[in-house]
Amino acid sequence: MPGLATMSLDNMFCTRCGDGFEPNEKIVNSNGELWHTNCFVCAQCFRVFPEGTFYEFEGRKYCERDFQVLFAPCCGKCGEFVIGRVIKAMNANWHPSCFRCEECNVELADAGFIKNGGRALCHTCNARIKADGLLNYMCHKCHGVIDGEPLRYRGEVYHGYHFTCATCGVELDHTAREVKHRPGYAANDVNNLFCLRCHDKMGIPICGACRRPIEERIVTALGKHWHVEHFVCAKCEKPFHGHRHYEKKGLAYCEQHYHQLFGNLCYVCNQVIAGDVFTALNKAWCVHHFACSVCDAPLSTRSKFYEYDERPACRRCYEKFPAELRRRLRRAHHYTIRR
Amino acid sequence: MSHQPPVSCIPNTGKMSKAKKVIEEAKENNNPEIDLVDKGLSSLDEIPGLFSLANITRLSVSHNKIQVVPAALANLANLEILNLANNYITELPVSLSSLPKLRILNVSLNRLNGLPRGFGSFPVLEILDLTYNNLNEKNLPGNFFIMDSLRALYLGDNDFEYLPAEIGNLKNLQILSMRENDLIEVPRELGQLARLRELHLQGNRLVVLPPEIGSLDLASNKSVLRLEGNFWVPHIEDQLKLGPSHVLDYLRSETYKVLYSRHMSAKPAPPPQTLDKSKKASRAA
Repeated sequence: MPGLATMSLDNMFCTRCGDGFEPNEKIVNSNGELWHTNCFVCAQCFRVFPEGTFYEFEGRKYCERDFQVLFAPCCGKCGEFVIGRVIKAMNANWHPSCFRCEECNVELADAGFIKNGGRALCHTCNARIKADGLLNYMCHKCHGVIDGEPLRYRGEVYHGYHFTCATCGVELDHTAREVKHRPGYAANDVNNLFCLRCHDKMGIPICGACRRPIEERIVTALGKHWHVEHFVCAKCEKPFHGHRHYEKKGLAYCEQHYHQLFGNLCYVCNQVIAGDVFTALNKAWCVHHFACSVCDAPLSTRSKFYEYDERPACRRCYEKFPAELRRRLRRAHHYTIRR
Repeated sequence: MSHQPPVSCIPNTGKMSKAKKVIEEAKENNNPEIDLVDKGLSSLDEIPGLFSLANITRLSVSHNKIQVVPAALANLANLEILNLANNYITELPVSLSSLPKLRILNVSLNRLNGLPRGFGSFPVLEILDLTYNNLNEKNLPGNFFIMDSLRALYLGDNDFEYLPAEIGNLKNLQILSMRENDLIEVPRELGQLARLRELHLQGNRLVVLPPEIGSLDLASNKSVLRLEGNFWVPHIEDQLKLGPSHVLDYLRSETYKVLYSRHMSAKPAPPPQTLDKSKKASRAA
């Protein structure tokens, strides 16, 4: 298309009034059509387009307001204009977010809907309402009444015998399992039905607590798999939710209860030992609380001490013990060495 | 030492000056822990200003010659640890039992011939060390076994022949030492102390143990069970040679329950007293 500069004023005319243009006059060019600035207006209100925005319909240009008034669909629920995606259903137009199941209020735009007695319903509610009416579910495939429990698949109810196990081909009943997530498969690939036997053999991890398959996040600990919310402290039963846990005799504990139950409590202060632990004589101490039990003098990790009723006594104190007690302690010490 | 002692108007003479120095330094530095170990003290009343140190949490006066514990010691309301080990103490004031924060009390290696009435009313006592005194079941006060906050009770080197059944009330007890007493029997109620991890019964006159002891968790690697130096029936003695955990296994057996009930109904004469206690330092007058 030739540019404006190369076109001569002689063969340029306004699209609306058909007149030519004055030299140096400002010309509006919209998609190759030329206009006088005061001819480039809304076909309805003859006013300049606010901020230059216009809507074109059947060759005519309208400002936003007039376009909506004349042509835009109104939402059947909220009465506002629908700009963008319009859902045409039930003889009306809708915002996608306004078109919802009249029973459970779920959005129907993508899920699809069923007209039931003049009401738009989702598949689940429709099936339920139908079943309520008949006291039984109705098979989504053969439309026959289902006696007993239905097989549920992709949100619909069916007779089990319309399906076979995706692995072994056996005819299914209501105990069939629908698999929606499997490692290495996209969600759409695995919307399959399996008999219980095959389902159990598929290696879907089973939660060590509730014995149900785990289809969401898995915690692996203690040689088992767990639902995140089922991996809990054996004492307080609160889930760890990724916090540190402590294992003891095949059970997991939170920090607080591990220490409370299994000991690193300081012999002197009886508190959980936060820093370094000094362990001796079947007991534990905060490093700064490890002291002679007779004179309370601090003992270091290198200090020599004597055992006295499974407690430490420093050399100075031991030497102040009555001689007959020292003799007995010495004899007891030899006895334990012999053992 | 380059450190100069603080200038004081009190004359610095003799052994007492050391104690004064400790108190003055503690006041100056706001030190909550007082050590007066092996200072040759014969009385706590001699130490000026000691009872006004209301903020101190520990007082250790081991290895002195203290005979009397003044009742005013109970003014030190923040005391958590009181160590009176190896002195000449024959009796304690009942006021100690009202110390609201006292967690550890050590009166071992003294000459206690009894405890005051109402001694057991400590609100938060956790460790009580009465080792090496002249205590027995007859000179314990009536409320001794209401101290259910106790974690450790050391009664070794005393003169107990029987352990009162009320020991079963001390639900938090983890350590019980009855080493080298004159115990003739221990009560079944010992089996109620579910948290007990250390039991010292060596050097007594025991012949049998109640089967209930078998249910205690005394065989784990964090536990201590000392049984040597008693007059055990041959079956227990044989198991003890294999180790204390074998004794516990045996105590749990049906055969032992029968043996124990037969023994208890036969009531044989207790074994003789073997320890010569006349040389004990706690006997000194």
